[in-house]
Amino acid sequence: MSARLAPSDLRRVLARLLFVQATLNRRGMQNIGVLHALDAAAAKLSREPLALLSRHNDHFNTNPNAVPIVVGSVLRIEEDGLATAPVPIARFKQAACSALAATGDVLMVGGLKPLALTLAVVSAIYSFSTGLVAIVVLYNAALLAGRAWGLRFGYARGWGIVDAFTGPRVQRVVMLARILAAFAGGAMVAVMARRTFAASWADVALLAAATLAAGIAIKRGLNVARIAIVLFPLVVLVAMLVK
Amino acid sequence: MPDLLLIAVIAGILAIDDRAGWQSLLGEPVFSSLIVGWVAGAMAPALQVGVVLQLAWLSIGAARGTRRPHTLLGGIVGAASTALVLAHDSDARTTVVVAAGVLAGLVAAELGAVALRATGTLRERWLGTFTLPSNTHDASRKLSMTVIGAALLVGIVDFVLVLLMIPLGERMVRLFEARLGVGGGAGAAWWLVAVSAIGVAAVVRAFGTRVLVRFLAAGAAAVLLVGWLR
Repeated sequence: MSARLAPSDLRRVLARLLFVQATLNRRGMQNIGVLHALDAAAAKLSREPLALLSRHNDHFNTNPNAVPIVVGSVLRIEEDGLATAPVPIARFKQAACSALAATGDVLMVGGLKPLALTLAVVSAIYSFSTGLVAIVVLYNAALLAGRAWGLRFGYARGWGIVDAFTGPRVQRVVMLARILAAFAGGAMVAVMARRTFAASWADVALLAAATLAAGIAIKRGLNVARIAIVLFPLVVLVAMLVK
Repeated sequence: MPDLLLIAVIAGILAIDDRAGWQSLLGEPVFSSLIVGWVAGAMAPALQVGVVLQLAWLSIGAARGTRRPHTLLGGIVGAASTALVLAHDSDARTTVVVAAGVLAGLVAAELGAVALRATGTLRERWLGTFTLPSNTHDASRKLSMTVIGAALLVGIVDFVLVLLMIPLGERMVRLFEARLGVGGGAGAAWWLVAVSAIGVAAVVRAFGTRVLVRFLAAGAAAVLLVGWLR
């Protein structure tokens, strides 16, 4: 009944998935973005594309980088037909989204993003613009390649994606990203300490005291950026009195 | 004025990337300040502002009971205010201008978060009531128009916010530069060190866990060793 999707169809789906966050809303979260992506292939998957879209017009929420994996698997499941489905597709999507959201958040927010940003800060401290450009190019290449791979992987595996992403292999990749981010974070702290040390001992003491105070504030859940705004006139006033 | 318009257009594009697109990181202050500084003709000081703002917002996740600041807006307003002042006044004290730019960026980010809340409510009303039309062709068209419209809305909101806030930021930077004496200048430098410390604290807190702390220490030791050998 239905023809297999061509690589060009998957590319169209992927291009639309890049803007999945545009229509993020509280009621359905990423549902409109996902429907928009499915719409690019719906006519090839079903004789009734509208019925296919209506089936998926429900709540959808996961890490944006994991959306292509789930959408890829949905495309495969729809292509194979729902008659032999082991569980309702809505339940499958919910399970896949939950599993991938946790992994995706830890990988991106806890690993790759801090890694890129701390390396960028170190490059910027040394006014190394080429380093900044290289970081942004590498990060985006990895991001886009990861999303393209995710869509192909999901389309190849169909129902099997949840098992693939809850195994130890994925956890090892996430841990490696966290380790690299921690290493880069340590390097950033040392670079800042060295530069402050080169300025004066007073600045080293100020950096240490401010780090301690900021650490306590972050631990207590306070908005440190707002505290910094309030501190500006105070610090300037103290300095004017001292000088 | 042409610089201001160009920066506002860049802000709109970066906002689409950051909140509607694939989040390329170009909207982060450390990268956006490089672009803004290049456009305004004062890349180095703009980048200094970007670094400090990035460090201030490096703590992962929003603080308890508060809204996340609008970091994209803050980064662009802070860097642009600094770069535009220094590009036209070479006698200005860089440290004071950079500190005032960082302050302008922090304030703009907080105000931007409030503005986003208002536009976010309108957006929710629009997207929250989305229904699929009963015809395939109409459904395809409505989906495409909704995505394009939502992305454009994000860009236009930030374009307008930047257009409004940069002149205020620039005025604030000029005011501080004119009013802060020698003591005030020293205070601005101290404040910059204190704000940068937020980033250090955030990194130590994020990676100071039992498993990761050794890698944090290894990274620091590697930099210190390379510095000592050189």
